[in-house]
Amino acid sequence: MSHGHEVGTLPHSHKKQYIILGIVLSIVTFIELGIPLMKGSPEIWTAAKELWAPLLIVLSIFKFGAVVGDFMHLRSDFTLYKILFISPLFLAMFSFFAIGSLSVVHFQPFGKGYAITAQDLSDGYVPPTVGGGAEPPWADDKFEAAFVDAQKGGFAKGKETFTTSCANCHRADGGGMPGLGVNLTDVCYKHGGKIAALYTTISKGVSGTAMPAWQTSMDSEKLRQVAYYVHSLKGLNVAGGRDCEGPKE
Amino acid sequence: MSAHAENLIHDDAPGHEGHGALSENNFLGLPNIKLAMWAFLGSECMFFGSLIGTYFFYHGNSLGGPLPKDVFSIGITSISTFLLLMSSVTMALGVDAMKQQKPLTARTFILLTAALGATFVGFQVFEFHEFYTEKHLALSTSLFGSTFYTMTGFHGTHVTVGVIWLVIMSILITKKKLVPGKEAVNVEVMGLYWHFVDIVWIVIFTFVYLLEFLK
Repeated sequence: MSHGHEVGTLPHSHKKQYIILGIVLSIVTFIELGIPLMKGSPEIWTAAKELWAPLLIVLSIFKFGAVVGDFMHLRSDFTLYKILFISPLFLAMFSFFAIGSLSVVHFQPFGKGYAITAQDLSDGYVPPTVGGGAEPPWADDKFEAAFVDAQKGGFAKGKETFTTSCANCHRADGGGMPGLGVNLTDVCYKHGGKIAALYTTISKGVSGTAMPAWQTSMDSEKLRQVAYYVHSLKGLNVAGGRDCEGPKE
Repeated sequence: MSAHAENLIHDDAPGHEGHGALSENNFLGLPNIKLAMWAFLGSECMFFGSLIGTYFFYHGNSLGGPLPKDVFSIGITSISTFLLLMSSVTMALGVDAMKQQKPLTARTFILLTAALGATFVGFQVFEFHEFYTEKHLALSTSLFGSTFYTMTGFHGTHVTVGVIWLVIMSILITKKKLVPGKEAVNVEVMGLYWHFVDIVWIVIFTFVYLLEFLK
């Protein structure tokens, strides 16, 4: 697409090309909008469920390429312009994916380093190895009194910690999030629903899941408060929560 | 700077679009202003890349609602998206008319582009207002609020700057302070900026809005 011209003559007009491209881009946009609306007809929707997201991304890349290539003339313009624009574009995409992979690592810790195993859980309680509190929570004389106090206070302290540390994955109301935290408001518990078991799960984390070992950042008092609060959520069955997972208690 | 070697190289490179303001071409025969704009747009790629990346890094990690699905209205966003896309067509037609030495046609298209852009900003103001007052989503509400408003707010600011630029350019054309043909590169560079703002929205619309509705 070279438009070399003599001095004094006008460059070739692209008017027609622009209008056609505008029509094509409009059609593509209407197709894009139609995709989320397909949910209305579940048969078509589920038939190609895995295809919709890649299709939207491909259409977006097409539009991007058309505007940059034709409206901005980068396709037929000098290489220097291409280098100036495309290299930072790739750098931006690289940082985008780097940040993305970081988020996966951050929220799904690898390895069994400090997480509990099924054997540990069978005993119901494993003393924390970090952050103190070697005694089981029920061994404390003040355990019952502390629980009653917490109950009277509406488990406010535990709720506070829950909101800042747990709601990220378990949702503010404890209903859980797909792929992240389980529903804490039903009556099903994969690793036990007694306070001691909850205390253990919270302090030790669960291997192979997004649940971290909170004993690294909370002391036993805090862990206990959260366990009390989580226990208090039992059976609330908030709306839109995750389905029941694990044995009923 | 040797860039001021007047008319030393005049628009004779193959594939060149045929413009070039006097004495403003560099040693490669490329207009400095256009080279600078492409370099700037390259840096803008990284700017918006990090804003969009940050949005996705924190996506789904808000402590509480409202969540994207609670606030997004696909109808309103679709209309404004369509308007912005069409403004790219009118912008391209404006640049083309300027190169064809038809300044009045160019001005009409430039003003039309400005009007479409201003309508887009209007829709965004309406959207932000609704999110803030009715859906109770503020900049400080959650990670979603912070990242969403920062990302789309910066984009809206870019559109606003573009609208101001378009209006100024149309005034310059009216006052005959912009020589059609020769100084068409000034309009072309403005067009590059405008199209860039459009492609940023193409990405945001698909990745932030449409993909949200697939879930």
